[in-house]
Amino acid sequence: MVYTRPLARLTRTFPASPRHWPQIGQRLAMHIIKRPEEEVAALAQALIDAKKLVGTCTTCGHLSAEPVCEICRAPARDDTMLCVIADSRDLIALEKTREYKGKYHVLGGLISPIDGIGPEQLNIQSLVRRVSQTPIKEVIMAISPSIEGETTTLYIGHLLKPFTRVTRIAFGLPMGGDLEYADEVTLARALEGRRDLD
Amino acid sequence: MYLKNLHLQHFRNYPEQSIEFTGSKTILLGENAQGKSNLLEAVELLSVLRSHRTSRDRDLVREGEEVARLVANLKREDRGNLEMGMVLRGNGRRSVALNGVGLRRQLDFLGVLNMVQFSSLDLDLVRGGPEMRRHWLDGLLVQLEPIYAHLLQQYGQILKQRNALLKAIRQGKVGFDPEQMALWDAQLATTGTRLARRRSRLLQRLNPIADRWHQAISGGSEHLNLTYAPKFDFVDTNAIEDIRQAFLVRLQQKAIAEQQQGTSLVGPHRDEVVLTINQTPAREYGSQGQQRTLVLALKLAELELIEAVTGETPLLLLDDVLAELDLQRQNQLLDAIQDRVQTIITTTHLGSFDAQWLSSAQIFQVENGTIVGKV
Ligand SMILES: Nc1ncnc2c1ncn2[C@@H]1O[C@H](COP(=O)(O)OP(=O)(O)OP(=O)(O)O)[C@@H](O)[C@H]1O
Ligand SMILES: [Mg+2]
Ligand SMILES: [Zn+2]
Repeated sequence: MVYTRPLARLTRTFPASPRHWPQIGQRLAMHIIKRPEEEVAALAQALIDAKKLVGTCTTCGHLSAEPVCEICRAPARDDTMLCVIADSRDLIALEKTREYKGKYHVLGGLISPIDGIGPEQLNIQSLVRRVSQTPIKEVIMAISPSIEGETTTLYIGHLLKPFTRVTRIAFGLPMGGDLEYADEVTLARALEGRRDLD
Repeated sequence: MYLKNLHLQHFRNYPEQSIEFTGSKTILLGENAQGKSNLLEAVELLSVLRSHRTSRDRDLVREGEEVARLVANLKREDRGNLEMGMVLRGNGRRSVALNGVGLRRQLDFLGVLNMVQFSSLDLDLVRGGPEMRRHWLDGLLVQLEPIYAHLLQQYGQILKQRNALLKAIRQGKVGFDPEQMALWDAQLATTGTRLARRRSRLLQRLNPIADRWHQAISGGSEHLNLTYAPKFDFVDTNAIEDIRQAFLVRLQQKAIAEQQQGTSLVGPHRDEVVLTINQTPAREYGSQGQQRTLVLALKLAELELIEAVTGETPLLLLDDVLAELDLQRQNQLLDAIQDRVQTIITTTHLGSFDAQWLSSAQIFQVENGTIVGKV
């Protein structure tokens, strides 16, 4: 596989890609190089703008171009409910359901020593401050039931329990994925979180 | 159960190869490094979704290719004719299909093709390290209790995380955080307890069968005993919560040592399968020949247990091992399996086989990833 030099540079220029998606730089480079020049220029500008303008909300940690994001500013949303999620993608997924009217807190990842991520690397301190200083009735932990998700959920649960009620979303039987299986633990969890049919 | 045919494409050193099994014994004959064990490895993958030789799918795909395909047709007593398909990719993503329908959960693939592996490496099962015995036990459990594969994978992930944390502590990269460690301990103990209980229960079921075979083969009155021996106080009749507590207590006791060594010292990844003959550890008991008798008894017990639990006769895969058994043990093995158990045998030469093995066998010559003909 021989790349012409500018293409090789483009391939390398893509930021260190996620562990689970190894050839992303190569694929994007090959795709982009075939598009018309105007389109590529617009993309380049959009990338620069996005990088310049998008930061994180100082309150909840969600991606935002303003110091405080739209959700945190929305007066109609319930200030006494807080939903804790791993990253902004989960927030977007939850918003799409239109079921939840409270506010969020984005951790920015999960506790994972393999990746060098401990509690200090996550937005946990700000969460504790938020919960201890504002009247919050319930914190809902909405974190996937993986090994890392379990540790993160319980870790935060211990920290927040002195201040408020902490719940976790009910996981049904898992969908897709690798070797997952509806084992006793999963079933028990699904049962615990059961609710009446409307 | 009968494996009717197997098709390999871009698998290991095979460009493309079909093989039709006709009798109850198939011998793969060839020089070293020609692809005999690779063919058995393909059957192993279809059976337990893993290979004992590698954990990277890239190794399984033929050099210069991206994708390898395996297709097998078999007939089971309970489910009739089945077609198993598996696609392996260099990037590690796998897909499996049953009767042409892709399976969402790979777990549903386990337990379709049952087999017992017996390779020359197994002859060291008694004297070798404890990881050999754990691996042997795990391979059997995955076939009998598919959920075990899931537990094993979860345990592996917890262990990796916990070891990474211990290593970071030892290197001074992070401070010791008792809150976080307690959560990893709890997960390790919960999943570890479930693995230990299943392993222990399996050995209990295997014990009387193995003991009977051992007596039959050795012609003696020695008693073989198999027990599971975790690194913590383990009484397998205790309630699961008590076992878990004992696990946690030992973790507490080992906490300092674990931080100093930067690795997890308690759990199923360290446990031992103890084999004794008349209360003496088998590794200290008897000659190499007697230890081989013991291994043969274990393999026959494995075969019988799979048969009893699933109602299907498993395949027997004999990799390089038959030529290493003396004629008497070869005959004992043949007596035990007769024509009932479909057997695939690899060897570099036929000279040391008892004539009975050869008379009814289908013999293929393997050369450089191709079956070049029948002998
Ligand atoms: N991914 C691969 N691509 C191409 N060739 C491979 C690949 N993996 C292994 N091989 C080749 O397969 C051969 C080994 O095959 P195998 O282990 O089946 O040998 P064997 O016939 O059982 O020999 P022995 O009698 O020594 O056990 C080696 O030549 C090795 O280079
Ligand atoms: Mg071999
Ligand atoms: Zn916000």
